Amino acid sequence: MPYIHVEQLNKTFVLRKRREKGRLFREKTLVHALNDVSFDIGRGELVGYIGPNGAGKSTTVKILSGILTPESGDVTVGGMVPWKERKNHVRRIGVVFGQRMQLWWDVPILDSFNLLRDIYRIPEQDYQKRLRELTDALELGDLLRTPLRLMSLGQRMRSELCGSLLHRPEILFLDEPTIGLDAVSKLALRDFLRQENRQNGTTILLTTHDMEDIAALCPRVMVLGHGKKLYDGALPELLSRYDTLRVMTVRYGMDTPLPELPECCRAERDGDGYKITYAPAEIPTAQLLHILQAAGDIRELTAQPQNVDHLIAAMYRELDL
Amino acid sequence: MIKSYFSAFRMRWKMETQYRGAALGGILCQIFFGLILVALYRALYAGRPQTLPLSAVVSYVWIQQCCFRIVTSAESGILDSVMTGQIAYELCRPLNLYGYYFVRDMAYKIVGCGMRAFPMLVFAILLPEGWGISAPASLPGFVLMLLALFLGLLCACALDNICMAATMKTLDNRGVASMLNLLALSLSGNILPLTLFPDSWQKVITLLPYAQMLDAPIRLYTGEWAVAAAPRVLLVQGVWAVLLIAFGAFLWRQNLRRVIVQGG
Amino acid sequence: MDTIRLYFRSMKMLLRSHLQYPASFILQLCSQAVMLGGELLAVLLIIDRFDSLNQWSGGDLLFFFGVMSVTFYIMECFARGVTSFGPLVQKGTLDIFLLRPRGVLTQVICYQLDPRRLTAILVGVAAMVMGGRQSNVTWTALKALALAEAIVFGGLVVLGLFFIEAMFSVRSVKSIEVVNALTYGGRSACQYPIDIYPEPLKILFTAVAPFALTIHLPVSYILGKNLFGWPDAAAFLCPLAGGAFFLIMYVLLQFALRYYRSTGS
Repeated sequence: MPYIHVEQLNKTFVLRKRREKGRLFREKTLVHALNDVSFDIGRGELVGYIGPNGAGKSTTVKILSGILTPESGDVTVGGMVPWKERKNHVRRIGVVFGQRMQLWWDVPILDSFNLLRDIYRIPEQDYQKRLRELTDALELGDLLRTPLRLMSLGQRMRSELCGSLLHRPEILFLDEPTIGLDAVSKLALRDFLRQENRQNGTTILLTTHDMEDIAALCPRVMVLGHGKKLYDGALPELLSRYDTLRVMTVRYGMDTPLPELPECCRAERDGDGYKITYAPAEIPTAQLLHILQAAGDIRELTAQPQNVDHLIAAMYRELDL
Repeated sequence: MIKSYFSAFRMRWKMETQYRGAALGGILCQIFFGLILVALYRALYAGRPQTLPLSAVVSYVWIQQCCFRIVTSAESGILDSVMTGQIAYELCRPLNLYGYYFVRDMAYKIVGCGMRAFPMLVFAILLPEGWGISAPASLPGFVLMLLALFLGLLCACALDNICMAATMKTLDNRGVASMLNLLALSLSGNILPLTLFPDSWQKVITLLPYAQMLDAPIRLYTGEWAVAAAPRVLLVQGVWAVLLIAFGAFLWRQNLRRVIVQGG
Repeated sequence: MDTIRLYFRSMKMLLRSHLQYPASFILQLCSQAVMLGGELLAVLLIIDRFDSLNQWSGGDLLFFFGVMSVTFYIMECFARGVTSFGPLVQKGTLDIFLLRPRGVLTQVICYQLDPRRLTAILVGVAAMVMGGRQSNVTWTALKALALAEAIVFGGLVVLGLFFIEAMFSVRSVKSIEVVNALTYGGRSACQYPIDIYPEPLKILFTAVAPFALTIHLPVSYILGKNLFGWPDAAAFLCPLAGGAFFLIMYVLLQFALRYYRSTGS
């Protein structure tokens, strides 16, 4: 039995519209937040969970963490049904919301951590050891006496992460943890998550819109759209499916005209060089390169895959999400 | 300028009509409180009648409940905008801020009060004799009461704005504001009608600004203050309105000179 | 036991959080005292003007006021938090509570303990002492028991009313004012003995929100008077109704919470 087992999960919300004039009752519409979603996640896996807004990602996380009760479907996490044994279940999980703070705003974070110790009933020795580990890894040592309200966004996120990991959860749910962070903080956060996953075997489910996070962290991605699971596998494979177009820019030393290109390529002037868009499926990169080289001395040539975000956008478009 | 003042009213109207449910809840709540108070004063009067007739006290209670909104301090939105630094945006607008907030507050009170007062008055009129509101003592008294109510409204808004200026200065919306609010509730007769305060106290209390908001108009309505005394009452109200507005405007100018923008 | 410890730890932390703004906190402590002080003043002025109310002397009225205030503000101080379910749902804080291995109710209450109310409780105690003196109450063990029952079970009624507010606030924040009428109206009305009110109010505060049974009966016993003409034992048995009221509201609130968990926000 895999660690997290989800089978045929369904959840419907009833949306009540505003009562229109002249109608006695409000109209109701049913929204299928999750539609027969199934997946398994093994212990210690690091899985990215993506999809456009409203696809049902947070509904899944809420069900997995025991906040919501689904209509139908089987869910077990480490042998427990989350919403049936909420208190026992949540002892083993940690959740970080990028836009929602669980620590107290006005008091030094150490006080918040101490209260969390009491809430989770963590034995004192364990707690001290774990706190030292986490403050070292997250570089929070000097900040323990600082109230949350005086911290920068990056510091706050690190504090939140520390708070969610104090009780050594087996699973960590992350909801947009890097939102709003600067590049340095993002990289540090990713390093930390990777380390936490490796050293403690923490299973991590990462929900995000930041494809860089996924690319850097998650060997496996699941894509959700309209409440259905659309893809489950490695990111590169997913990208190669939608990675139909590539861009190459070329600049010649002298005023060399662009050679005749096959029909499937599209070229446009870009400064004093050319930007060529092509599909590797139609013309292999090597062949294109060959044509370009034959025309004259190339001073500069860059080949770049399209930005990951663009690919995801293309994918959402294609799947009509 | 004038246009933006009108839009403050329009916005408030939209907001109030959107939360009809809340208004209904407020009305029921206020009626319930009114009934409890009337029951209490009836029982008290049964034991020891006073020179002031019971009907006057009962009317006092109902008008008080109807116009409750006038006494309570400014809509929380304004105070919040001061606290969160939202006010920085308002500062960017080509407006006289004092005037703008004054009108916004006035809109809050007038619209809120208007929506609640009418159904409550109907209820209070329909109540059986001795429980409901009595007719005004005289027609001129009623007209004078409306005038006094307007002056009282000016005083109330001016007091709110002074309170807001204090909040801006101390950047603390709980301490100062709640203290001033309490002062307003006790000295405006909300906890106990001012007419039931010891007679010697009343000589002073009725001259304070808080008594100008509702107490003065109500007494003109019940006839406790005769029409002949009205010019003096209105004069006191007018003087306070001018003084309070001037003081508030002065505080705001001071504050804006050293703009502190919190948050951000 | 562990829960109570959590309770006090939270209290300590909230106190610390308030003390981040010491001037404001002190002002708020004062304003709480002034607030109840204002109402106390109103009672004193009423006594000054009217002397007595039905069978009740000025001292009796003060004592009633004191017991009601102490009961109410103890709950306001320790359990007001439950009524903020609505805002917590909106802000998503409730989800965070559900993610922790503790009862949701415990956490909600811990989250919003209100140490500022302590001064109001003190004013209530002062009124109680003053009233007791003026009415020449001679304390016996039984009277102390009656007082304890009044405060405990009266408190449970208040808590039950808070629970009703909580249920309403889960559904919509704006509808809360109606229930407010019952909570604050109940407090205002029942700081005076119930027998001065007309039948409908009497029934409301006896059979629905039983302040008359939980507070007025034992307090009348302490003052040596008889409220409804029932035997003395009633003063000790009837307050138990407060426990029943509380239990009913508790069960209903649990249902409301389950509803939240199956519907989401």
